Amino acid sequence: MTCVEFWNQTPDGGLEASPGSGHLAECAACGARWDRQQALRAGLKQLSAAMRAEEAPPRVEAGLLAAFRVQAGFDRRRGTSVSWVHSWWAPSLTWASAAAATVALAVVLMHGLHPVPASIAPLSAPHRIASPAVESASVPADQVDEDAYGPDSDFIPVPNATRIEPNEDLNVVRVETTRSAMMALGIPVDAANAADTVLADVVLGSDGMARAVRLVPNGDGSLLEE
Amino acid sequence: MAHDSTDTDDALLARLRSGDEAAFVTLYRRRQAAIYRFAMHMSGSATAAEDITQEVFLALLRRECGYDSERGTLSGYLFGIARKLVLRNLERGRADVAIESDPEDAAMPELAVVDDPLLDLTRRESIEALRRAVLALPRRYREVVLLCDLEELDYADAAVVLDCPIGTVRSRMHRARALLFEKLSQDRNPRLAVGRLKPMRVAI
Repeated sequence: MTCVEFWNQTPDGGLEASPGSGHLAECAACGARWDRQQALRAGLKQLSAAMRAEEAPPRVEAGLLAAFRVQAGFDRRRGTSVSWVHSWWAPSLTWASAAAATVALAVVLMHGLHPVPASIAPLSAPHRIASPAVESASVPADQVDEDAYGPDSDFIPVPNATRIEPNEDLNVVRVETTRSAMMALGIPVDAANAADTVLADVVLGSDGMARAVRLVPNGDGSLLEE
Repeated sequence: MAHDSTDTDDALLARLRSGDEAAFVTLYRRRQAAIYRFAMHMSGSATAAEDITQEVFLALLRRECGYDSERGTLSGYLFGIARKLVLRNLERGRADVAIESDPEDAAMPELAVVDDPLLDLTRRESIEALRRAVLALPRRYREVVLLCDLEELDYADAAVVLDCPIGTVRSRMHRARALLFEKLSQDRNPRLAVGRLKPMRVAI
C-alpha cells in the first residue's frame, strides 16, 4: 500500500487507523503524521472539555422564560374567550399568533402612537431576526418608571395588572402577531386583514406577567388600527 | 410537570409548544451552552453570543419555525439558526474576532515540523494555543472544527447546519486540521513563518 492509498482509505486524517499495523508500521513518515493527527485529536478533545463550562448567562434564560410566559399567558386567555371566535376562522388561530394576544389587548387600549421615551428605546428593528416571532431584552428597573407606561406615554398599563415596584426587575418583550389574534379578545378587526401582522412591546414584571404594552410601528410607520 | 434527562428533544419541543414551561426550560438548559459557545467562538463576542442564543431559542416559540425532524436533529437545527445569525452579525461588522483571509487556494501546509508542538497538546498552555489556533481559522474552517470536533456533531448533522454536502464537511475538516497544524507549528517555530516569505533583491 502506498502512502496515498493509505490516507485515502483512512478518512478524517487517519484517525481511525491502528498504530503499529499495516502501512503505519512500514512508513515512518506516515507514522509520524498519524501520531500528530492523534495528538491533535486528543488536544481538541481536551479543548472541548475545557470549554464545557462556558454557557449563556442566567439573564438569557430569564428573558426567554418571560417571553415564553407571555405566550403561555395568552393561551390561557384565549381559552377563556374561545367562544367569541367564529367557527370558520378558529382553526386558523395558530399557537404563535395566539401567543401575542396580550399584545392585542394592549393595542385595543392604545389611543395613538406617541414618541418612544428615551428611557425605553426600541429593542431592535421589528424584523431584525428571520424566524423568531418574539424578541426580548432585559431593561433595568430604574429605566422604566411609572411615566414610561403611564397615560402620557406610549406604554399602556394592562388592566388589573400588578403595579410595578420601584426596584422590580423588568423585561420588555417584543411580540409579533396577526390581527386575528385580537379577535380572541373581542377586538373588532376586519377579518379580511386577519393575516396582517403587528408588533408590540410588552413590559413584563418579575413574575413574568404583563404590566404594560405599546404598539410598535410597522416598517412603513403605519399602525394597525386607528 | 417535571422532565427527566431521557426526554428527547423532539418530545420536549412538542410539549413546549403546548405551553409546557418545564419542557422549554429543560430543552433550553440542555442545548443552550453549545449554542452559546458556538456563537461566541464564531462571532468573537460574548454580547453577540448572548443575543444569538436568545434569538435561537425564541425561534422555537414560533410555530412555523421551520424545524423538520425528517431533515435533521433539533440540535442541528438550532446550530443552523445560530450560524445564520452569526453570519448576519459578521456582515454587520460587529465581530471582534480577526478573520484571516481565506487561504482556500493556498498550498497544503507541510505537516512535518522541526520542533513538533503537537506531541504535548494535552498540556494546559498547549490547549490554550490550540484554542487560539482554532479561533484564528478562517470562518469556513473554524465552524466545522467547532461543530464536529468541539461540539461533537457528526458530519451528517454538520452538513445540515452548514447547508452543504457531507463531502464538503469532510474536506473542510481535513483542511482545517492541516491549518491547525500549520498555525501551531508557526507559534512554536517562528522560523517556519519566515520560510514562507519570498526572497527579493534589494539595493544596499
